[in-house]
Amino acid sequence: MNRDDDISGLQRVILNERSRLLRFLAARGMSDDAEDALHDLWQRVAAAPSQPIADPLSYLFRAAENLVRDRRRSTVSRDRRHQDWHDTIPREEQPTGERGLIARERLREVQSTLAALGPRVELVFRKCRLDGLGQAAIARELGVSLSSVEKDLQKAYRALGQLRAKFDAE
Amino acid sequence: MNAQDMDPQEAARLWAIRVQQPAFGDWDGFTEWLERDPAHLAAYDAVLDDEVWAAALLSAAPAVEPEAPPVRRWWLAGSAAVAAAVAVLGGWAVLDRDAPAQQIATAPGEHRTIELADGSRMALNGATRVTIDSDTPRQVVLEQGEARFDVRHDASDPFVVLSGGARLVDAGTVFNVLQDGDALEVAVAEGAVIYEPGPDEVRLAPGDMLKRPGRGVKPVLAKASPQAIGSWATGELYYDNPAPDQVARDLTRSIGRPVRSAGGTGRIRFTGTLVLRGTPEEVVARAGPLLGVTFVVDGEGWTMSPAHGPPR
Repeated sequence: MNRDDDISGLQRVILNERSRLLRFLAARGMSDDAEDALHDLWQRVAAAPSQPIADPLSYLFRAAENLVRDRRRSTVSRDRRHQDWHDTIPREEQPTGERGLIARERLREVQSTLAALGPRVELVFRKCRLDGLGQAAIARELGVSLSSVEKDLQKAYRALGQLRAKFDAE
Repeated sequence: MNAQDMDPQEAARLWAIRVQQPAFGDWDGFTEWLERDPAHLAAYDAVLDDEVWAAALLSAAPAVEPEAPPVRRWWLAGSAAVAAAVAVLGGWAVLDRDAPAQQIATAPGEHRTIELADGSRMALNGATRVTIDSDTPRQVVLEQGEARFDVRHDASDPFVVLSGGARLVDAGTVFNVLQDGDALEVAVAEGAVIYEPGPDEVRLAPGDMLKRPGRGVKPVLAKASPQAIGSWATGELYYDNPAPDQVARDLTRSIGRPVRSAGGTGRIRFTGTLVLRGTPEEVVARAGPLLGVTFVVDGEGWTMSPAHGPPR
C-alpha cells in the first residue's frame, strides 16, 4: 500500500460522506461557504501524512473542525483590526502606562477569580490550553480523575466567559 | 450527551471540552445540537474565543506552582530495603536488583504493578507475562497480555519494550501495549513511542494507537482517547462509543473470565467509565445497564448482547 492509495482512500471517504460533512460544516457556521470549505478539506487531506488511518471519517470530522477554527481565527483577526481603526476611543489617547496597568489588573482579577473556584482551576486550564496536554494526561499528572479535570475546565470557561464580557463592557 | 434541558452556554462549554478529546466521536450529535438553534453555534464559538483570549492573557503571567503531587507516587521507603527478593506489598512489587532474568506472570483477572529499577513503572493486567533482566534495566519483554508503562524518560538510554517480535522505544511517555497471540496493539497516553525505529518506523503521539493484527501484517493507525489508554490500570475502563468486541475483550482480560460478544453490529452508545470493582459478577451486573447490554451466563463466563428496548 503506497501513499497514493491512502490519499485516494481519504478523498474517497470525503466523496462518500459528502453530505454529512457538508451538513457539519454548515452547522458549524460555514453556511454558504460549506462547499468551499469542503474543497479546502479535500486539499488539506491531500497534503496529510501517508500513515494509514483506521477511522477516516472521525479523522475528517476532526480536520473539518480544525479548518473551521482556522477560518474563523483569520476572519476574527481581520474584523478586529477593522474595528480598532474605527474605535471611538482611539487607543493612542490612552497613555501606555495606563494600558499596562489595566492589563495587569485584569490579569490579577482573572487569576483571583479562578483561584476562588478551586485549587487547580487555573493550573488545569494552563496545562490544557498553554501546555497542550490532553485532559487524561493532566488527570494522571495531578493524580485526580478525568471528571475532576472536566469540571475544572467547565468552571474555568464559565468564569472566563463572564470576565471577558465584563472587560469588553468597560 | 443530553443537553436538552441545559442552558446553551453550559452545553456549549461541555461540547467544547469533549470535542477537544482526541477520540471524540459524536460528531453527528454535535451537528444536531448546533442545528437546533443558532444561539448554540454562537455560544460554542464564544467559548472558543474565551479560550483564546484567556490563554493570551495568562501567558503573560508566570505559571502557578503546582501543589505537591498527591500520594500517587508509590515508592517504597528506603531503597536499601530492596536487596530482598521480590516483595509484594498490597499489589506493588519492587524488583530484586541482583537477581538474574526474572519472569513475572499474573493470573487471569489479577493486576500487579511493578516498580522497575530505573524508576519506571509497569502495570500488568490479567494473564500477562513479562521478562525483566537486571543486566538490561531499561528493557522489558512483554510475552503475553497487556501492560501499561509509565516510563522515566532518558533520551540517551531509551526504555525499550520487546513484544510480538516488535521493538517499541520510549520517547518520554505513558503507553499501553497489548499482545494477544500474534496481534499487537500499542497506544500512547502521554509523550511518544517509536514503533520499530528504522526505515519503517512509526512515531506514536498521545492519542495514537497502532494495531498490528498479525506478524508480517502492516500496522494500522487509529485514534484512542488518552484517558482510555491503560485506564484498566487504575481500575477503570473508559469508553467513548466502543465496539462490542473491544468491550468483551477488555472485560475478559480485566476480570479474568471469558466474555464473548454476540451480534450487535453497531457501536455501544456509552461514553464514560466502567469501574472494575468487586467480583466479576458485580462488574458484569454493573456494566449491563450502563452499556445497554445483557450478559447471559455461558460456561465460565458470559455472552454479551444488545439489550432490547428503547435506545438510551
